[in-house]
Amino acid sequence: MYRLTEEGQRYLERGLPERRLLEILESPLEIKEASVKLEDFNIAMQWAKKEGWVEAKEGMLHLIEKPGEFQVEEALKKVLKKDELDGDIAEVLLSRKLIEEIRDDIMQRAKKLVGTEITELPEELISTGLWREVKFKPYNVESPGKQIHPGKRQPYQRFISSMKRKLVELGFVEVTGPAIETEFWNFDALFQPQNHPARDWTSTYQLKHPKHGKLPDEKIVEQVSATHQDGWTTGSTGWKYRWDPEIAARLMPRAHGTCLSARTLASGPDIPGKYFGIARCYRPDFLDATHLIEFNQAEGIVIGEDLNLKNLLGILEIFAREIAGAEEVKFLPDYYPFTEPSVQLSAKHPELGWIEFGGSGIFREELTKPLGIDVPVLAWGIGIDRLAMFKLGINDIRYLFAKDLAWLRESKVV
Amino acid sequence: MPKIEISLDDLRTLLRSSISYDELEERGILFVKGEIEGFSDDMLTVDIKDTNRPDLWSVEGIARELRGHYGVSEGLPKIKIESSGISMNVNKKVEKVRPKTVAAVVKGLTFDDEFIKQIIQLQEKIHMTYGRNRSECAIGVYDFDQLVPPINYTTVKPDGIKFVPLDFTEEMTPGEILEKHPKGREYAHIIDKFEEYPLMIDSEENVLSIPPIINSVYTGKVSQETKNVFIEMTGNSLERLQVALNVLVAAFHDRGGTVQSVEVNYPRETVVTPDMTPREFSIDPEECRTLLGLDITDDEMTDLLKKARYDAKSVGGKIKVKYPAYRNDIMHSRDIIEDIAIAYDINKIEPDPPKISTIGHADKTEEFSDIVREVMTGLSFQEVLTFSLINKESLFTKMNMEEGEVCEIANPISTTWNSIRSWLLPSIMDFLCANLHVEYPQKVFEVGDVVVIDESQETATKTKKKLACAVSDPDAGYEDISSILDGLLRSLGIYYELKAKDHESFIEGRSAEIIAKGESVGIIGEIHPQVLNNWGIEKPVAAFEIDIDGIK
Repeated sequence: MYRLTEEGQRYLERGLPERRLLEILESPLEIKEASVKLEDFNIAMQWAKKEGWVEAKEGMLHLIEKPGEFQVEEALKKVLKKDELDGDIAEVLLSRKLIEEIRDDIMQRAKKLVGTEITELPEELISTGLWREVKFKPYNVESPGKQIHPGKRQPYQRFISSMKRKLVELGFVEVTGPAIETEFWNFDALFQPQNHPARDWTSTYQLKHPKHGKLPDEKIVEQVSATHQDGWTTGSTGWKYRWDPEIAARLMPRAHGTCLSARTLASGPDIPGKYFGIARCYRPDFLDATHLIEFNQAEGIVIGEDLNLKNLLGILEIFAREIAGAEEVKFLPDYYPFTEPSVQLSAKHPELGWIEFGGSGIFREELTKPLGIDVPVLAWGIGIDRLAMFKLGINDIRYLFAKDLAWLRESKVV
Repeated sequence: MPKIEISLDDLRTLLRSSISYDELEERGILFVKGEIEGFSDDMLTVDIKDTNRPDLWSVEGIARELRGHYGVSEGLPKIKIESSGISMNVNKKVEKVRPKTVAAVVKGLTFDDEFIKQIIQLQEKIHMTYGRNRSECAIGVYDFDQLVPPINYTTVKPDGIKFVPLDFTEEMTPGEILEKHPKGREYAHIIDKFEEYPLMIDSEENVLSIPPIINSVYTGKVSQETKNVFIEMTGNSLERLQVALNVLVAAFHDRGGTVQSVEVNYPRETVVTPDMTPREFSIDPEECRTLLGLDITDDEMTDLLKKARYDAKSVGGKIKVKYPAYRNDIMHSRDIIEDIAIAYDINKIEPDPPKISTIGHADKTEEFSDIVREVMTGLSFQEVLTFSLINKESLFTKMNMEEGEVCEIANPISTTWNSIRSWLLPSIMDFLCANLHVEYPQKVFEVGDVVVIDESQETATKTKKKLACAVSDPDAGYEDISSILDGLLRSLGIYYELKAKDHESFIEGRSAEIIAKGESVGIIGEIHPQVLNNWGIEKPVAAFEIDIDGIK
């Protein structure tokens, strides 16, 4: 019994050197040229000359005749398939080191199995071809496969990643920011007065330690302070109270993603420019089927000269189509403290009907001007927690942060 | 945000139009930034979105606004005010306690159930939102015919006078009310720091109320028999109170009442309330056209403003508007421009996506995190997502460590979540501990944020992205996790070294520091059995935690 050597295997794949030589000799060729063109040229010449297929004359190679089939090649094919081989040709192949004899111990092991019924298929039966002499025990092939657990993305986290990709495709640049913010960025820069009930400590978290951060650039602080007190140069009446830098320096876990937009505006953004951020936010809520103790907000802005309400509605329509897969949209006048005008987007989902999809508006000038932005800024937020619930088909919001490994393992990849 | 209940029938009567439910739901309610959330048996549950428009928090206000939009009555609502000839005297003693008050009289009312319900609801909503839970505005409505003017606003010692508060039958002192009455307990914190409490009392020593806590039974109960009412409000800002008073008397006016003013005599000045003089503002029509992207004429703008209950006229290229004195939400021309857009009907505006071409890109750390997640799932680990709120015990004690410095919440809703995690492995341990009966091996990872204290930062903290990864199995060991770390870091093309280093959370001699680019970027090892016991985990756990920015 024989098996192919590495060289034999190679010739079987690419053709014998002598075959490849004959193939390039459609017309006479300079020997030098042929030797460059052909890998294994010397081996090819040795055998082609011996068989009388080629002749070298005055530095040129000529084809004399082409055999109908190459016996060596046919023999190699037989070895591969473990067919019987004639003695003579076997000698040729052995002398050319294209095949080798199978080791005796392998042969012996294979022979022991001859005539038996096997379950596993051992290597020695394959290499000797003696699998022809055994019987394969049939399996129950209709029972389902053994359960294994592939490594998978967490469904909500995967949803967030795909949402980010979508927003990047729509031309938005991603921004990030600290999870712990000063009240300045969380409230004051957004024109929330310091005595507003939204700043009440039942509505937001405050820190016990550390307590205070630093206020940013003096100029921005002065402009924000003046806008709160008397409207500064924004054309607003302001809130008419004494703004306290001490309160603004207090630290808190951010309560919304809008602080990212405020930071972006204050950092000298591109105009025109589009930015978004997905932020983990914190508000004092009890954990139940409809509330989380922390949640994600997707927020973004479009900054540009001459942007208007029609453009805002246009952006919302694109979101509804691209992100929610909605065909029909409805706009509802709304109230958000940071925007005026404010619009809520309601989108008709193919299966779920009308859903509240997100809030938006044009940032108040009391917000943009103190941060150094003199052009309109369209702002939007998408309720991604709710959208993810729809997409993942879950009714209990706690499953967005599922602690249940069995559930995660069973979850569909959507 | 304020949710109110109103009767559709009542709304139709006040609107003087038989508006259909569908029209109201699809279009009408949008004019008041509202949304109908429920409708059964004639009762509508309406969510009014605008927290700065207390005038819309009752059926009277909604109807008043809609009368404009449906052409029943446009322009500034006319609310005539007569003098009642009554005065209220403000004692100097209230200055340090609850300094401001306003008052009004409304006569000729016919109360029915629906009207009483609406007035109580409006009072509650004003108390809660606009009045900052009564601290900035508390309202008292009394049967005028039970009072003997003038009314005195003064203070009283906690044991100074006895009267029967609403919902009770026996006389109590103000101090007893704060202690025993449910409303007393609820609102005591507003006044109990003072030596004397605010008191409304008439000229014959009949107690009206202890603002902002409770009225007396004698005067403070309005019923179907009541014809004339006396209204007072107390708080800290006169302007704020005047707006609230205007909201309330406008509602009484729309129910057919005659509004009368009261002279409020402060020690140094006299204020006549309510004052319904319209406020004025001026807008640039060009700003309106530019901001809305609408090609509308100045005349169309003034027409729309009249529908939104403004008076408006074009004067020298500007539009001068007058708006009702029950509104205090107008700070900027934008506030008026929005009302123009709403009156126009925003669903009639053609959406036009901005023609701004920008190239989007992801944040570098976020993008890299996604690559890490991809490799980790390829190594057959399940991604998990946990809360970043946790507690000090989980962060330190359960991890076998000395308590360290961490971001702590001052007002946690539960001690389970009183801190923000400073490292990720405790979250992973908490996850494993919740899955003791789920098939092993358990192989999980999370890429998530932690917060560490760093006084040099603007926010005195630093938010960092970490990867934590753990394998738990009856025969899980160091090699099971070091091979994963190796597979991850080689896939990311990062050269790294492991340097033996002991750590309280890991078995001695079986943990190492992960060094990449010359920096310590994480820790790897077999979790200490004491830590496993602390978490109630009965299978070995091998884990690592690594700084994402350190390997980026």
